[in-house]
Amino acid sequence: MTEEERAEIWLDSFGVEYNKKMRFCELATTPHAMAEFLSRRSGEAAALVGKETAERMQKKLNGEYFRSLTEKYAKKGIECVAYSSPLYPEDLRQIADPPLVLYCRGNTSLLAERKFAIVGSRHTPPQIARLTERYASELSRHFVIVSGMADGGDTAAVTGALPSGRVISVLANGLDHVYPECNRDLCERVGKEGLLVTEYLPEVKPRSYLFPARNRIIAGLAEGVLVVSGGEKSGTRITADLAMSYGRDVFAFPYGVGASAGAGCNALIKEYAKLTDNLVDIAETFGINLTETEEIELTVPERAVYEALREGETHLLQLSERTKLLPHELSSVLMLLEMKGLVVSCGGNRYAALK
Amino acid sequence: MLSKVCSFALSGLEGVPVEVETDINNGLPSYELVGLPDAAVKESRERVRSALKNSGRKFPAQKITVNLAPADLKKEGSYFDLAIAVGILKATEQLPHTDLAGIVFLGELSLGGQLRPVAGILPLLISAKAKGYKTFILPEGNAREASYIAGITAYAAENLKQVLSHLTGEAPMSPLPVLAYEGAPAGEGRFDLAFVKGQPAAKRALEVAVGGGHNLLLVGPPGTGKTMLARCIPTIMPDMTFEEALEVTKIHSVAGVLGGEGIVRTRPFRSPHHTATTVSMCGGGTRTVKPGEISLAHGGVLFLDEMPEYHRSTLEALRQPLEDGVITITRSGGAVTYPANFMLCASMNPCPCGNYGSADKVCTCTPAAIHKYRSRVSGPLLDRIDIQVEVDSVKYEDLASDTREESSAEVKKRVERVRGIQRARFEGIAGVNTNADMGERELKAFCRLSPECEKILRLAFDRLKLSARARSRIVKVARTVADFAGEAEIRPEHLLEAVSYRSYDNFS
Repeated sequence: MTEEERAEIWLDSFGVEYNKKMRFCELATTPHAMAEFLSRRSGEAAALVGKETAERMQKKLNGEYFRSLTEKYAKKGIECVAYSSPLYPEDLRQIADPPLVLYCRGNTSLLAERKFAIVGSRHTPPQIARLTERYASELSRHFVIVSGMADGGDTAAVTGALPSGRVISVLANGLDHVYPECNRDLCERVGKEGLLVTEYLPEVKPRSYLFPARNRIIAGLAEGVLVVSGGEKSGTRITADLAMSYGRDVFAFPYGVGASAGAGCNALIKEYAKLTDNLVDIAETFGINLTETEEIELTVPERAVYEALREGETHLLQLSERTKLLPHELSSVLMLLEMKGLVVSCGGNRYAALK
Repeated sequence: MLSKVCSFALSGLEGVPVEVETDINNGLPSYELVGLPDAAVKESRERVRSALKNSGRKFPAQKITVNLAPADLKKEGSYFDLAIAVGILKATEQLPHTDLAGIVFLGELSLGGQLRPVAGILPLLISAKAKGYKTFILPEGNAREASYIAGITAYAAENLKQVLSHLTGEAPMSPLPVLAYEGAPAGEGRFDLAFVKGQPAAKRALEVAVGGGHNLLLVGPPGTGKTMLARCIPTIMPDMTFEEALEVTKIHSVAGVLGGEGIVRTRPFRSPHHTATTVSMCGGGTRTVKPGEISLAHGGVLFLDEMPEYHRSTLEALRQPLEDGVITITRSGGAVTYPANFMLCASMNPCPCGNYGSADKVCTCTPAAIHKYRSRVSGPLLDRIDIQVEVDSVKYEDLASDTREESSAEVKKRVERVRGIQRARFEGIAGVNTNADMGERELKAFCRLSPECEKILRLAFDRLKLSARARSRIVKVARTVADFAGEAEIRPEHLLEAVSYRSYDNFS
């Protein structure tokens, strides 16, 4: 670990506001320089970070504090990737406000690979969630999938990519906490098989105002962002806008007129995002080769039901009229198609086909 | 002088003979009632005194001691009024030349000497008959339920005077005629599947559930007819046999909810409100252990509308009776076992706002909120519900349309055929009447899966992330579906239909 990295980790541990700690870093880059800055120009330091913090910093200049700090992180299984570290992703370093230290749990080597973000809102329709899982699983062969940990779209993306272990979840809270609670298991698995990343100290609790800042890390890490769902006021909009401003490619699923779950996606497509209804749309942009899934053999009634469903979300009764099958016969065919991953139940006895 | 008169007390569903001994002595006028009477029994003194006076008899101004034997059994209720009145008359020699031996007196007295009906006559008479008692005098209000029991001589009286003139031979009453059980009342009921428009998936699930005795969960937005569907379940269940009807009537009689019919002929449908307490649901009480809703639903349907709204502990208390079909309620005074073999039908909304999966309304719940709502029903309980089906919102055109829907009678025929198949299958196996009752041994014997079916089941578990506990439940439902199709072997399509009824398990 270089002197600069040590300095950055040490500085970050005081929980100073982002702008102030970055200014501090500009003034002094090594532990030695920081010690000198604190003692020689104590007035300036106090003005920058506040008198109390400056005094606290002065007291913690010894190596003892840093050792106990790193020991504490090691005990919690946290690896610190500081701005000056060679592990720190170059893409993230390019953005206007890169995090000073990334607190990581899991496989940090994933940071060095090509990354692609998939984000969605909490209100993600079930068929879109399944589709997202599929996309994430396919794309994880070429990219490490970056997402959050929220319910709905993010969970689907993480779940899809998790079997390959190529997944990074960026959190808006410290690694001592889990948010949302219902994803405790998933969070634990990502920490073991993939990678959890946050810029916050372990004890920081999730707060709504931390999420927009978290989104800049998702956008900054990835080469491209796919927005799978999002209403008009969704946080996915922030991620997409940031990604756009960083010069990343933005993709979005199209939604039908009046579908509130996707109003934000449609707005993105209107402005700058690339309409995506096929994996090839993404593959072309990056010059990668994604083979379409192999043809699955279907029996005659299965084929009929599948074709009928491709016209859009359909109710069991309409489906029964179109295919001339009795509802209870249909339910076994649908079940089989669902198990083959071609059809998804949308609730309310309505079904949709997955492309 | 001493007199002895027979009466009966009730302990659970069992009748216990009680001998009412009355002794009259000279001394200061007093009335002593011994033999562990409760308040209602003790108060009989005032009722008996007025009733005797108003029937033109004398209440002796002497020292009266009444003993209810056996003395160690707690006596409750107002069964003994008539017996005490007759005992006092006999002891004061106001009833000369009458033989009271072998006659069981039951009934409550009013101050005017009228006989009021008491709860639990049917189970009392059944156990009394088994113990060798043949002659009964009981209130007119209990006449109908008594007349379904053959092989006894029962007299129903309106008042004390009538009883006395019968005993003295002045105006003998004629014994009650024995009524034959007629089965369920014919004719159009208030509920019929013909009135439920659309909902083919839910109707099919209802039919399969009743056919195999499976429990059922209806999930759907508010106002989609979940309650209506549930109300139709009794209309497609097979008619009760006389033995079943007697058993159900016994429970209703003990609980005091028996109507004027005298016998319960239609399968009970109980829908306790979600504020129900555990005791009201399972039965209990401080002294008398009364049957709860689950026992009143014995032989019929227990409908829990809006299941997640019930108290958690109340729902959990259902688990054991759902497995065993009986409930044993233990109090310091002793334990009582009531039958509780019912079909559970529950309904719930898919999410707190109720619109999840609705075609035209937007669900405003977050997945976490939905998850929390659904987790109010515990996994082990959900596990005991074999069939889970979605009821979706009905379109206006469906409601207004004139398309003829199948009536309950037609569905009932199919259900009875399937029940017939099961009766033949489980001939001679104790405790197993329907597919839902099957244990591991019966599963092995009657539900062999072909390799193709095994493959599908394995795939279903992989893809749908079903819990391992669901396996035997799925196979049982598949057995019922196959019975409806008239097949001896479970075929893949039967299995797939059964799997589709578990889709609610793996909500993520």
